[in-house]
Amino acid sequence: MKPHSAFADRRRANLLGPNLRDFLPACESHSRRAFLQTAAGGLGGLALTALLATESQGALPRAARAKRVIQIFCPGGMSQIDTFDYKPALLKRAGKPFDPEGKLQFFASKPGNCQPSHWKFRQHGKSGLWMSDLFPRLATCVDDMAFVYSMRSKSALHGPGCFMMNTGFTLPGFPSMGSWVTYGLGSEADDLPAFVVLPDPRGLPPGGIINWGAGFLPAEHQATTLDTANPQQPIADLFPPAEFAGRTPQVDRDQLQFLQQLNRMHQESRQTNSELEARIKAYEMAARLQLSAPEVTDVSRESEGIRKLYDVDHPETGPFGLQCLRARRLVQRGVRFVQIYCGAENTTAKKIRPNWDSHEDVVRDHGYWGAVLDSGASALLKDLKQQGMLDDTLVICTTEFGRQPGAQGAEGKGRDHNAGGFTAWLAGGGIRGGVGYGATDELGFKAVESPTYCYDLHATALHLLGIDHTQLTYYHNGIQRRLTDVHGHVISEILA
Amino acid sequence: MSNAGANRASRPPRVTEFICLSFGWLTALCCSTTAADETVDFGKQIAPIFQQHCMRCHSPGNSKGEISLATIDDLKSNEYIVVGDADKSHLIELVTSRDGKPPAMPQKAQALSTEQVGLLRQWIEQGAKWPSDVVVQETSKADASWWALQPLSVPVRVAEAASSYASLDDFILGKLAEKGLALSPIADRRTLIRRLSFDLLGLPPVPQEVEAFVTDSDPAAYAKLVDRMLDSPHYGERFARHWLDLAHYADTHGFERDMRRDNAWRYRDYVIHALNQDKPYDRFLQEQIAGDVLWPEDPHAVIATGFLAAGPWDFVGQVETKSDELRRSARSLDLDDMATQVMTSTMATTIHCCRCHDHKLDPISQQEYYQLRAVFAGSKRGDRVISDAAVKQAEETRAEWTAKLQSIDLEIGKLEGAGLDLADMVGGGNGSGGGIYRQGIDARTGAVQTRDLGALDNVLTNTLVRTKSEFIDGVFIPDGENGKAVITVSTTGVMVTGLPKTSSAAWDVIRNGPVASQHSPELGGIDFTKDGHRLLGLHANAGITFDLAAVRLASHQTEMRFTAKLGYFGASGGNHADAWVFLDGKRIAEYTQLTREKGLQDINLELPVDARFLTLISTDGGNGYGHDQVGFGDPKLKPAVPVTLSDEDGLRLTSLRQERATVKERLSSISPSQNFYGVLGEKNVPPVQLLVRGDSESPAGEPLAPAALTSLKMLDPSLGGVDTSEGERRAALARWITHPENPLTPRVIVNRLWHWHFGQGIVNTPSDFGYGGDRPSHPELLDWLAHQLKEQGWSLKSVHRMILNSKTYQQQSQYDKGAGSVGVDADNRWLWRQNPRRLEAEAIRDAVLQVSGKLNSERGGPGFQDFTYEEAYAPIYRTITADEPALWRRSIYRYIVRTTPDRFMTTFDCPDPANLTAKRLNTTTPLQSLALYNNDFMLRQSRHFAQRIESEVGAIAVEQVNRAFQISLGRLPSHQEQRLSVSFVEQQGLFALCRSLLNSNEFVYVD
Repeated sequence: MKPHSAFADRRRANLLGPNLRDFLPACESHSRRAFLQTAAGGLGGLALTALLATESQGALPRAARAKRVIQIFCPGGMSQIDTFDYKPALLKRAGKPFDPEGKLQFFASKPGNCQPSHWKFRQHGKSGLWMSDLFPRLATCVDDMAFVYSMRSKSALHGPGCFMMNTGFTLPGFPSMGSWVTYGLGSEADDLPAFVVLPDPRGLPPGGIINWGAGFLPAEHQATTLDTANPQQPIADLFPPAEFAGRTPQVDRDQLQFLQQLNRMHQESRQTNSELEARIKAYEMAARLQLSAPEVTDVSRESEGIRKLYDVDHPETGPFGLQCLRARRLVQRGVRFVQIYCGAENTTAKKIRPNWDSHEDVVRDHGYWGAVLDSGASALLKDLKQQGMLDDTLVICTTEFGRQPGAQGAEGKGRDHNAGGFTAWLAGGGIRGGVGYGATDELGFKAVESPTYCYDLHATALHLLGIDHTQLTYYHNGIQRRLTDVHGHVISEILA
Repeated sequence: MSNAGANRASRPPRVTEFICLSFGWLTALCCSTTAADETVDFGKQIAPIFQQHCMRCHSPGNSKGEISLATIDDLKSNEYIVVGDADKSHLIELVTSRDGKPPAMPQKAQALSTEQVGLLRQWIEQGAKWPSDVVVQETSKADASWWALQPLSVPVRVAEAASSYASLDDFILGKLAEKGLALSPIADRRTLIRRLSFDLLGLPPVPQEVEAFVTDSDPAAYAKLVDRMLDSPHYGERFARHWLDLAHYADTHGFERDMRRDNAWRYRDYVIHALNQDKPYDRFLQEQIAGDVLWPEDPHAVIATGFLAAGPWDFVGQVETKSDELRRSARSLDLDDMATQVMTSTMATTIHCCRCHDHKLDPISQQEYYQLRAVFAGSKRGDRVISDAAVKQAEETRAEWTAKLQSIDLEIGKLEGAGLDLADMVGGGNGSGGGIYRQGIDARTGAVQTRDLGALDNVLTNTLVRTKSEFIDGVFIPDGENGKAVITVSTTGVMVTGLPKTSSAAWDVIRNGPVASQHSPELGGIDFTKDGHRLLGLHANAGITFDLAAVRLASHQTEMRFTAKLGYFGASGGNHADAWVFLDGKRIAEYTQLTREKGLQDINLELPVDARFLTLISTDGGNGYGHDQVGFGDPKLKPAVPVTLSDEDGLRLTSLRQERATVKERLSSISPSQNFYGVLGEKNVPPVQLLVRGDSESPAGEPLAPAALTSLKMLDPSLGGVDTSEGERRAALARWITHPENPLTPRVIVNRLWHWHFGQGIVNTPSDFGYGGDRPSHPELLDWLAHQLKEQGWSLKSVHRMILNSKTYQQQSQYDKGAGSVGVDADNRWLWRQNPRRLEAEAIRDAVLQVSGKLNSERGGPGFQDFTYEEAYAPIYRTITADEPALWRRSIYRYIVRTTPDRFMTTFDCPDPANLTAKRLNTTTPLQSLALYNNDFMLRQSRHFAQRIESEVGAIAVEQVNRAFQISLGRLPSHQEQRLSVSFVEQQGLFALCRSLLNSNEFVYVD
């Protein structure tokens, strides 16, 4: 880490406005529309649409109920048994062998005894839906949430499972939902990326940044990762490293002006190559990003009440709360798709697992991560509602797969992977609150009523954004690819 | 067509038969009315109707249509058909028009003809006979008559043309004339050399080359330049990148635990080498698919099979998990990756669509897909020895040079009086540095061990065993039995006694370095694995006896002292152990209750000239042997009196040191491992069955024999039987793909070459020659080029030459807004000009390095790693700024990490190696501007660029400007540019100019 004084220096430098952004002409007073018209001039079919969009109201289909999406991803495999999927029958069978015949073999173990939820379940809200005591705050939002109790995955492995939930395919290399959405809709913001990811401060999820990659879609649709640990440089290369930073704003302004002069001279004999024009514009757009990106990650100007709501100063739950708050700020400024990670990869596991992958001790690990999710996610829902944004902001919370109702480990404190059943929840953006959809069997082992893969979740999200999931396609290696592959049904039961 | 039909009739009926029926033929059949008394032939008359009009929705697995017409079951059970009664059959009702309304079925399509409905009625009346072995399937859009599946056509013009080069342009000119277009003028030489240089080498031309070419009066200067560049070793480095995009090569496995694949680079080097050598393309493919089988003695051919293994591999799914179901699923996807890679890259055939169902567009059945997969069913990815001969040879060479190094070290050691290293002896050396780090000796057997062991089984205490080292007399595992045991510690029968009781257990081996799972190599502030420190790892309980007589004989060092820093390297927290030193059976030092907290104990013991056996022992202190990682740091036998050097010895020492450096270099050039990452064959090939809907838990039908595609009628698809060996299957596929009659293989590669030279292919989907892909813009040219390739002995360079020497290639790319051609062909499909292109990520990076003068042109070998690596369950790779010569190599030599792609490269559209990439995308984004403008690497290189210019032309601004333009853009600035730039340099400095030039459009775009 840099010493604090360096931080302060950079900050001062930024207030003066170094680098590209000083190049901006009197563009601040420019109306956005006029600016975009200039930007789009002569671009042909090229490029800038996603990161810096056309007027989005026009781009957004009329049928859209949601304008933007915030997705919370809980990697590692959140236990449906201990959270949302109430199974009284499991309580009755507690301590009895889950698989008396010994036929089953899970990812890492053979099942032990039936293990009911480690937390007590209660009914909440007007809807009376069940939620465990792991989520006391989220429980107060239950009437805004719709639960899909019958989720399934095609893989019980973290990497493929995460890929599937994010891209619809268990293999790496396919575009993530955020990439598809921005490919389909572009952005509302003209000075921020269309698709932003806020990884867990502890590190990347299983499978790494491929989880939000653009796959075979053009690179402009890949997510921009916000490095919130580095408020001065939240986006990579946003500013030059300190040793190269311009001495004064004038220096930066002159330098970029010179570059653009060179480019204009080069362009004179190549008027017909629209890509050259696009590149010149891209430098101007980059300058705008230098203004907007530090602003959006800086929550210091949020009210004390808001900071309390997200509990941003709490040593354990605060960092995720901050990410949730930043997600709200991002969508407020027109970012189309934000993904927040609640957990990292199984790296050097210390006392508590760095994600939800509770093989040894559900109480310890889910206990920790439950508090984290409970605090941040509930604050996000309440805040969005207060700000009147929940109606057109779709919030999705998923994990890559669930966990087993039978216990794992010598002491039976853990749970193994379960691709057969888990819960996802959605809220806002055209979702009917207080409803449940589908069901697992009486022990919570397998989804039996309306089994649902990520395809349906994706189809539903696209539907709410006004997109028919069968129409959003991109040709790649012989196939018109879709987010939903050849599957997908809109889950109309959870729509408002 | 009728011919194909006849062929089919002679074979037994099969599911796939129907797929290939052509529409024309169908209509003819269906319209032929059948007299009421004639029996309707289901296969010929009814099945085609279902196939053409119904199967799209009414097939198994398609929920849209609710019922399936694949077999008669659904039709009968729902009274769609009432046998013998057409009027009661619901099916007839559905397809018949009523009250002037169109029939209910088929939906959104043309109704069945009256004749067709008549046939259906007749068939039902006659008993609705449906042979039980016939399953009706949806037809693909294209059948075996698809253009790409036809034999190469032989254009007449080949024979007529005076020279082959002229005829390439003829094809283009012909089409242009048809459209009323013409070629653009030839570009100027400065443009041509820059275009060629980036195209063929991936680097900008250096100013001298540019000037030499521009002023060359030889009319053949251009053709000579093409030849020169094709001969450059950079050519292979450039074109290997294209091929590796298809192989989706990387240096890690990918997926959750993205582990290293440190021997993968050999395949990358193979590709570079093969392209530079202009290895015949058919042979190039054969080697990559089955080189290990076809030419097992040729290391290049064996390494080539790294192609099959180049894609991602899921360790957790295939190895780590205990669930067989998960393993089957992961393996299924793995096989899909291998089969897809081979068929897509070589034949632009998109077989992967058939994992779940018959191909909807191309004539490939699901069964054929699984038969192709059967080719690889016994092939698994993994590290593999190139060849036993190569290993043997490398080992012999290494042994020879190691011996030389040892004798030099011994002499140096003697002259310097540095002493002899006991840890080195444990590692197999003579005490002067020849030992292998972390090699050790098993205290149970005396055997050499490089692998990490844990808790040892079959321990026999107090039993001395001999070792391979002449300096180590023996090793043993002690148990003092409370002082009672008499333990033999030398082969001559020297005994020790008085040692305490131990647990009689032992861990790992006696090592040159830390033992297995050692808590830390650090103690007392010294890391004994670094800075020349050494460690003799002696985990309790273990003993080792050195033969001082043998040491004296070899080293001529007679009077010696034993020095070391002894310590407990295990974790703190109540753990402790004891250590003992004996000389000829006499205890000369003991260190009891050693703990981490106690730090290092200095040992300095005199060894009389007649002493022979030095014995070191560790015992567990009576509380179990856990954590008891006893170690002797820097264990030395030092000369008793310090040495003073004579002049003669001084000179000798200098020359020895020089010699040592040479020998060391030679040694390090012998690769540490003779492994490559490729495929390993299984002796018994697991049976392959068709997987219903691609689900690895739903196998169906008989085990399938390996086979290729039947749609290429000129080839025999058989690749063996279910008993054919793993290797023979691959060899058969390699022969089928490169068969002289196979039209797709040569078409696909010449089209790829075309694509790489023009930025667009004759077929603009280079990896899809099927129905879903593009149609050739110049089909005759495509076939002509394919012919040329074969006639030139599959030489890729000969095709490059034809393309590059054509007028079409040499055209300029610039054109005016008002050009007439724009209205006719704005997309330049007919090539009335060359296409300007932005450099790919790798070319940008390499060009920056060349311009800054920092490009390290070292070729081949393990990739450079511009990241730090942290071992973990899922290893952590953290990118660092490439700021040292080792990291300034060409991008092709980058160590590619799948889960942590280099952000700079990805921003410039460098593809994810999870996918086969036939065609790089080319985007323009603000993030690219930020990367070029602010990235640490770019700024540092800009600074190097500025320093280079200063050192070349000094401090005069105008000369700096001229030189900067020449180096980066291959030309001098215009007057206007010069004036502007000089004033810019005077105000902002040379660095700012360099940064701007590397950001300029002209730098990243080639005309």
